[in-house]
Amino acid sequence: MARVELKQVTKAWGDVVAVEPTDLVIENGEFVAVLGPSGCGKSTTLFMLAGIYAPTSGAILFDGHEMNAVEPKDRNIGIVFQSYALYPHMNVRDNIAFPLKFQKLPKSEAIARAEDVARLVHVDELLDRKPSQLSGGQQQRVALARALVKQPNLLLLDEPLSNLDATLRLTMRTEIKALQKRTGITTILVTHDQLEATTMADRIICMSRGRIEQIGTPEDFYSRPASLFVAKFIGSPPLNLVEGTGREGRFQTGGASLRLGSDQGAPPEGGIVAGLRPEMLTFGPEGIAGEIVAIEPMGRETLYILDTDLGGLRVLESRPDRTHTVGQKVHVSFDAAETVLFDAATETRIAGAWVAV
Amino acid sequence: MSPADATHTVAQRDWQAAARRSLWRRRLGMWSLVFFLIVVSLPIMLPYFWMLTISVSARTGGADTIVLWKACAVLVPAVIGVVLTRTMMPPGGQRNLAGLAVIAIAAITGVVLIGPDLHANNYRFLWNPNIVEEIRGSSGAGGDQFPWVWTAFTNSLIFAVANTVVVLTVSTLAGYYISRFAFAGRATFLQSLLVLHAFPAMTLIIPIFLIMHWAGLLDTISGVILVVVTLELPFSIFIMKGFFDAVPWDIEMSAMTDGASRRQAFVQVILPQVKVGMLAVGVFSFLKGWEEYVFVRTLLFEKSNWMMSLYLFWVSDDLMGVDYGIVAAVGVFYVLPSLLLYVTCQKYLVQMTIGGIKG
Repeated sequence: MARVELKQVTKAWGDVVAVEPTDLVIENGEFVAVLGPSGCGKSTTLFMLAGIYAPTSGAILFDGHEMNAVEPKDRNIGIVFQSYALYPHMNVRDNIAFPLKFQKLPKSEAIARAEDVARLVHVDELLDRKPSQLSGGQQQRVALARALVKQPNLLLLDEPLSNLDATLRLTMRTEIKALQKRTGITTILVTHDQLEATTMADRIICMSRGRIEQIGTPEDFYSRPASLFVAKFIGSPPLNLVEGTGREGRFQTGGASLRLGSDQGAPPEGGIVAGLRPEMLTFGPEGIAGEIVAIEPMGRETLYILDTDLGGLRVLESRPDRTHTVGQKVHVSFDAAETVLFDAATETRIAGAWVAV
Repeated sequence: MSPADATHTVAQRDWQAAARRSLWRRRLGMWSLVFFLIVVSLPIMLPYFWMLTISVSARTGGADTIVLWKACAVLVPAVIGVVLTRTMMPPGGQRNLAGLAVIAIAAITGVVLIGPDLHANNYRFLWNPNIVEEIRGSSGAGGDQFPWVWTAFTNSLIFAVANTVVVLTVSTLAGYYISRFAFAGRATFLQSLLVLHAFPAMTLIIPIFLIMHWAGLLDTISGVILVVVTLELPFSIFIMKGFFDAVPWDIEMSAMTDGASRRQAFVQVILPQVKVGMLAVGVFSFLKGWEEYVFVRTLLFEKSNWMMSLYLFWVSDDLMGVDYGIVAAVGVFYVLPSLLLYVTCQKYLVQMTIGGIKG
């Protein structure tokens, strides 16, 4: 178990900066997701923790000890690669026991421990098979078992679910989360899937272009996205974003004007982007006028695409039946407390600000 | 007869006809394929067959072809018979029995027809150290220059094994390094590897002779090993690099986070993935060493340094027209090791494609 700390860590390949100076603390036993689009530096950060890449500058600390010069083999890290990276020439038992080979354990004890871990991830029936004889989900479990068998200080998961089919992904999500809670191993999950991050992790680190955009709990990301980037990245369907300008307590946009205020002093001025979550918009007798242009049934929910005075809006109703039809004129309203506003220039959230009809 | 019955019988007749047609089409396809393969392999098979029969039957010293024709007279009907049972009869015990019967008849006829003609006398060079002198008399040209065949055999074996060991070691390590590490001039190095391979080695023969002379390696086996290894390496390195390229990078990284050092990861995880490539490179460099003639001929003079290729050359040079039987027997003896090696390894060799492992 380890407390992981990054101090001003950077990584550059020649002139290309993959990770900007980053400070980060991951507490002992935490399950953290690093979330971001491809190329944002999340995997690079993971590989720096594993020791596969050396940081260009800065320090990586495990429990207060600097790790920069420590070789991967001595860091006691379990890692599950996106491709699982099982050893094709070994059967499942040998694959799982492989990390114990280097710990000078008696062979019988190593096999016993490998079989214990195999039971933990439900692959104890497959011990004599070769990786090529396993399905994707089974390979994934074997990779997980191999990462866990040496009781690592830190478990790193690099997009572990992206090669699985949808149903299996759901099962593995639950299983990995439960396993992490049971073992208490500090775990870092790298993913581009916001749902994976919010469902599994205690804390999410959102990265974009080599920088950390926001660190927080899934709730923080949902109710208080720190930047426009995070707001666009989190939530399905994503936030409705309305561009406009703030002047003297009014939010002016294309054909409409809304009330603009702040819980913390004067209402903001200048370029503003207002975020309205689809699920907080409700149809009503009054509010913003618009017309329904399309309806997307999503099973338990129904998504309405509207053309309004504020521009295109998505409205999500939590009921499977349709309450409205295409072409119908409607009004939508929302609760001012649930709106989020961003400064158009800095793309960061304006704390305390709100808009209302 | 109800209409339903009528359609039923019509359908049945059509199915049977279709099945018969398909069967004949398959047989025809099979026959033409077998015929084609026989025709194209005859020019390859016949000389070897000639060599084998002459080596075990020639008595007078001349090239007696009578045994060859007798053998053909037994073998050709036997092959045709087996092919016919395979194509004409349904699979099962009866077909196997018929096949065995044909083979048995052929074997008995063979023993009766050819048996009395067979003898191992032409192979006496294996236990007689100075065969050429015995045949041509000591006055014969170069009679006393001949080493025993086992000297040449041992030399060839040493040469081929050393060639294999050096080529395999160097090309595996170099291939791994080129595949995994970036270094200045890597692209140029790769290109020059290919150019070196494209360059005909014969053009280098005089400079190499001079270099060997100046280096004091002329007429030494280690000298020839160095030359052949050098010429062999570029292509072998290139092949091994291709095999290493096909091994995913994460496997290695995974091994290293699992606690292996770079060398342990290489030996325990990476090498098993390129086994087929190593086998191929190993077999090919062994065969190359075993069959090497040009550099052996140019750079070695002492008869104690002769290889099998030189031995065969001098035997045929001295005895051709005098004793074909011995020449053929030496040829058979020379071919056997490479044949054995190839037969044992061909299962793996056919899996090889340049640059990777096939399914």
